[in-house]
Parts: sequence; structure tokens; C-alpha cells
Amino acid sequence: MSEKRAESAAPKPRGIRQTMSDLHIWAGLLLGWMLYAMFLTGTVSYFKNEISQWARPELAHQASVPDPADVAQRVAGELGRLAAGSSQWSIGLPSARENTAEAFWRLASAQPGQRRFGQATFDPATGHKVTARDTTGGEFFYRFHFQFHYMPVLWGRWLAGLAAMFMLVAIVSGVITHKKIFTDFFTFRWAKGQRSWLDAHNALSVFGLPFHLMITYTGLVTLMALYMPYGERLAFKTPQERQQLTRELNAFIQPGKPSGRAAELAPVADMVRQAQALWGRDNIARVTITLPGDAASRVAVARGEEGRASMSPQYLLFEGSSGRLLETHDSVGPAAETRGVMYALHLGRFGDTVTRWLYFLVSLAGTAMVGTGLVMWTVKRRRKLPDPARPHLGFRLVERLNIATIAGLSIAMATFLWSNRLLPGTLAQRGEWEIHAFFIAWALALAHAVLRPPRRAWIELLWVGAAMLALLPVLNMLTTDRPLWRSIAEGDWVFAGMDLVLWALAALHVKLALRTARHKAPVPRGAQSPRTKAPAPAGERTVPSVPRTTFDATHGATPSQDALR
Amino acid sequence: MSHLAIFLPSLLGFSALALAMERHQESVFDRALPASLTRVLRNLGWAALLAALAVAVETQGWGLGLVSYSGHTSASAGLVFGLLIAWQRRRSAR
Amino acid sequence: MIALPVRARRVVPLVSRIVAAILGGYALAALASVAALALPIARPQAVLTGMLASFALYAGAVIWVFAVRSATRAWVGLLMAAAVLMPAAWVAWHAGGSA
Repeated sequence: MSEKRAESAAPKPRGIRQTMSDLHIWAGLLLGWMLYAMFLTGTVSYFKNEISQWARPELAHQASVPDPADVAQRVAGELGRLAAGSSQWSIGLPSARENTAEAFWRLASAQPGQRRFGQATFDPATGHKVTARDTTGGEFFYRFHFQFHYMPVLWGRWLAGLAAMFMLVAIVSGVITHKKIFTDFFTFRWAKGQRSWLDAHNALSVFGLPFHLMITYTGLVTLMALYMPYGERLAFKTPQERQQLTRELNAFIQPGKPSGRAAELAPVADMVRQAQALWGRDNIARVTITLPGDAASRVAVARGEEGRASMSPQYLLFEGSSGRLLETHDSVGPAAETRGVMYALHLGRFGDTVTRWLYFLVSLAGTAMVGTGLVMWTVKRRRKLPDPARPHLGFRLVERLNIATIAGLSIAMATFLWSNRLLPGTLAQRGEWEIHAFFIAWALALAHAVLRPPRRAWIELLWVGAAMLALLPVLNMLTTDRPLWRSIAEGDWVFAGMDLVLWALAALHVKLALRTARHKAPVPRGAQSPRTKAPAPAGERTVPSVPRTTFDATHGATPSQDALR
Repeated sequence: MSHLAIFLPSLLGFSALALAMERHQESVFDRALPASLTRVLRNLGWAALLAALAVAVETQGWGLGLVSYSGHTSASAGLVFGLLIAWQRRRSAR
Repeated sequence: MIALPVRARRVVPLVSRIVAAILGGYALAALASVAALALPIARPQAVLTGMLASFALYAGAVIWVFAVRSATRAWVGLLMAAAVLMPAAWVAWHAGGSA
């Protein structure tokens, strides 16, 4: 953008569409790689529970959901042994998508105001801790999506928020730029070089526009208390006052003052049954217990996520020592409900299987939207390079980062799953090492993208990604007793689904690799030297979600780069 | 089942709207269709999209229904789009 | 090599706009989230309303900053918007703490 300005001696007033186009390009480009990674990990996170199940093959397929009331009772009993002195327990119950129970509890801490929690995963049938490999499973992709890794959680969330604001600006400026956004909607000129990249990017942006706008804004809303805490800080000075706000936001009740009188916790199962009568047998999300064993104990049984598109808290509050229902908390104020709906829309947990798949597919299209935007930039700029054999640093940087991010991330994610199957169970910090493997693979892909000629790098990395994805079901068959045919026979659609989706994604990568390899390009405009008539065909990877495109983009394979092979 | 009842009208609606555009009429039928037929297609398209919305809200309520509707319209728009591209490409290849 | 003052003439307005957009926009959004406390609704709802709306304001401010004809206009616009919100934010600041 500054280069353009450098060229004009007397700056003419630029139209709004032109300035918005520049803004869109910069907003998209500066953090585009981060956004691509957030989008892809966010996309797979719609199935994070399934990925987590796949990551713990020792735990049997759950054919039917155990009664949450019984599970809550068992786990509460276990917590009585594990976390006896704790002032606050919170139990997450199994569901159709979750075959374990989990709990976290407040650890007695010397530091006031600094929370520390213990955590464990439990077998719903016995209430005891599960014995399965140490892994973060799908939770890794989910957490990476909004707080990355290897940095303090708050930094990661701020970074994600910054990226989300860039995305929001990119969307709005994109809509303003694309004036004929609705009449142009169905037009795709697929044979015209840079034009077709623009059209692919437009297509993915436009038909997914409601989703992309919603997901970006609601993403900011999920962490809005971090990004915009000023009103809250001003309005609520004491913890008691702050509770006025938190009871509008979640069902995570806080311990009051202990009475000092011992009183055994009443059967949690009975309390859960009252909630089940209201909301459905399997529609119970969490049971939070404060001051268990004390007369001042309270139990909150929170409604599950099915059946309503809102995360605003709905819970029954019981007196812990007697099981008496104290309060039915089933509505919040209008702003809180709005926030609840927006939060739910982002997480998409309320959806049935079809809705979840729609989320996944449209989110994948959003990922492709970001990817095509990044690649399109190099396609457009390449035509304008004064010397295509020696592009300027900015161009080289974008080109290599594109390869490393887009092709490399697939490899990194596949590596995470590979390491889940291969790392020995005795390895200390095994769960962390799966994550290290992810980043090591990504770094190797970056190195490859930098060292190889760009087009070769694209093709090679795409093939590596394809191979790693395709072989995962085979690896699964060799290292576990849950091969595809057994999963299908047992109706275990979590494992079967994983295998099949992995193959579908592998096929997608194969297709991209083939298209990139096959494509030939004419001589670029303005470059007539014999060097560019080198026989090496040129190509550029295509858009994942758009089936067939051809283009006359040129790509890097000039003789001087060939010499590096 | 109700999902199909939302998806299919959306698909029909977007197909009709796409075919109501001259550019695609040229591509699919080799000629522009008469104005009256184009009008019918456009009305049919919008009507089908409204019908899909009605089914969504009727079967899933406003909250879940609107979300479902949004998902199905996004997906069906994308599908129609992809099919148009595939069609264009096959014709060019001949 | 272009003379430094000439380059500065091109770069300074751009940098100014970037600062206005990123930092000025955020400040405006934060101000709005505080001004929301002056709304005649329950305190928790006002707090949440301020937060929910702030990002739209932030994005709008960024678009504004780059859409207007000069960096000066960009800043003036932000300051005028801040001036509109300031009285409400002032009220909220001094009423802060009471439920």
C-alpha cells in the first residue's frame, strides 16, 4: 500500500472501494497465517470430543449413555476420597459424545484470589479414575484455537483476540469492497488466472458470510470479559457484587462461608433426578458442589447443552446437607441472554449431528477462504514482479509462510495423532510430548518450505500430509484393537467416522498435490527472457472446497531455482 | 428427517435463483430464457428459500431453527455454486 | 535515495492512521463499554451490553479511520465520538460501586 503511494507524485483521492480493498488486504495478510491456524483448529474442534475418544482407545465405545444421576453419585463419592478437604468440586457428566466423566476441584491454596485446581478423568461405570494413555486429545486443538501454546494463557488469548479483530475488519472491508456482493454471488469465472483465485476467495467468503461474520464476532464475545473489563471493574468492586454478574454468566457457584458444622453430603443422585425431570435424562451438564461435608454446602445441577441455542446458565440449587431445592435459576437478563446465545453460536455444542456437520463444513470453507486469500496475494503479486526470479523479501516471506502454514499445519495435526498412537505409555509427560511433536513437525515443514523451491515444497508437503492422514487408520489398526471393520460392525461411529474422515481429508490433499503438480503456466507478462521458457511446468495449489479450477498463474520454477534442487 | 426438509428446498431455491441469471442460462441452456420464465424462476427461488425457513422454525423453534436454516442455506448455496463451476468446466473442456 | 522529509510526508499519515485505528479504536470501544453503565438498566445487564457492543464500535472505528480523506479527519472523528461518550462515562465513573 505504501509502495502504491510512493508511485503517485500528487496523491489523487482514492475511492472508498480502493481504500477498503487495501485495508482488506493488509488486515488479512498481516495475521492471515495465525487466522488460518485458528480457523483450522477451530474447525476440527467441533468434533473435539470425538477426537478425544479416538485418542483414548483403551476406553470402550459407549453404546448408551449411563444415567448421569448414578455417575454423579459415583464420582462425588470418589471425590470424597480424592479431594476431601476441597471447598469446591465440579463434575462434568458423560453424554452421547463424551464417554468419560471428569472433575476439577479447588486445591487448598495459601494465596488468596489465586485459584488452583486439581483435575481428573473418571470411568462413568465405576467412578474411579480412568486408566488410559496420558493425552490431551481433541482438547489440544480446541485450546490452541484460542490460546495457542508455549505462552502464558492470557497472552495467547490476547493474540487470538487481536487476530479476531483483524478478521472482523477484513470481513467488513471485504464486504464494502465487493460492492456487487449479491449480484456477483453466483458468478465464477474459472478460467482466468488471478481472476479465478479472486472468484474462489469471493465464493467461499460470500456463501459463508453469515457464518464467518457470526463466528468472528461471537469469538470476541466469548472472551469479552478479558478484552473489555473496564465496565465490569468500575461497576463491581467486591466479590459479592461481582457475583451479581457471574450468576448471569455461569453455573459455577462459589463457596460461601463454611459453617464449621459437619454434615454429610446428601445423595447427589436424587438432586440430579429432579433436574432430569425438568430437562431430560441425558441433558445434564455439570454438578458443582461447594463445601462438601459442611452444613453450608450447596449443590448446583446445571442443564445440558441440548435443545437450546444458549449458554446462559440454567441450574437447580440445592442445600448440600439435606438435598432440599433452594432455587431454580432458569432465566437471566436480556443482555446476559444475548451473550449466552452468542457464546452458544460460537461453540455450536447445542447442535445435533447434522447441525454439527454443517458447522464443520462451513467452517472448513472459512479456513479455505483464509487460505485462498493468502495464496491469491502471491498470485497477484507475482505478475507484477519486476524480476520474477528475484522477488522482493515481502513476497518471498509470504510465499514461504503460505506453504508452511497451509500445507504444514495439516502435517503438524496429523503428527499429533500419529504420536498419540506411537509414543510409549511410560514416557514422562507423554501428553505434552504429543504436543511437542505437533510443533516439531510444523517447524520441519517450515524448514522444508524455506529450503525447497516453492512449487516443489507445496507438492511435497501436500503429499506428506496426504500420506500421513491416509495411513492413520492403518496405524490405528496396527496399534489398537479398534480397526475400521470392527468399529463399523459394532456401530462405533466415533472410531469409524474418524477413519473415514481421515481418508476423505487425505484424498483432499492428494487432489491438491496432483493439481499443483499437473498445472502448466504460460510465460508471465513482461518477462520475455529465454530463462522463463524452462520446461519445468508451473502450478499453484487450488482451493480446497472448490472442485475444478484452472488458472494461468505462474509459480516459482525458474532455472536459477532449479539449480537449487 | 426435518433436516432434509430444510436442505432440499434451500437447494431448489438457490438453483432456481442461479438459473434466473442470464450468465448461467447461457452456460446451461446455451441461450437466455424468456423474461417471463426468468421471473417465474426467481419467484420460485425466493419462495423455496422462504419455505425452507418455515420448515426450520416449525420443526426446531426459532433459536435452533434459525441456526439450522443458516447452516443449510450456506451449504446448499455452496453446493449450487460448486455444481455450476463443474458444469462450466465440462462444457469448456469439450 | 529520497530525502527524508519527503518520505516522512508519506509515512507519517499512514502511521498516524494505524495508531488511530488500533489504539484509538480500542480506547473508543473501551470508553463505550464504560459509558454503557449509564444505561437505565440493571447494572449487570449494562456491563454486558457495553462489552457486547464494544467490538462493533472498534471495527467501525477502524473502517472510519481508513475511509476518511486524511489522518487528521480520522483523529477528529474519533475524538468527536469520544466527546459524545464522555459525559456518560464520567457519570458511570463517579457512580461506580453502587449497585
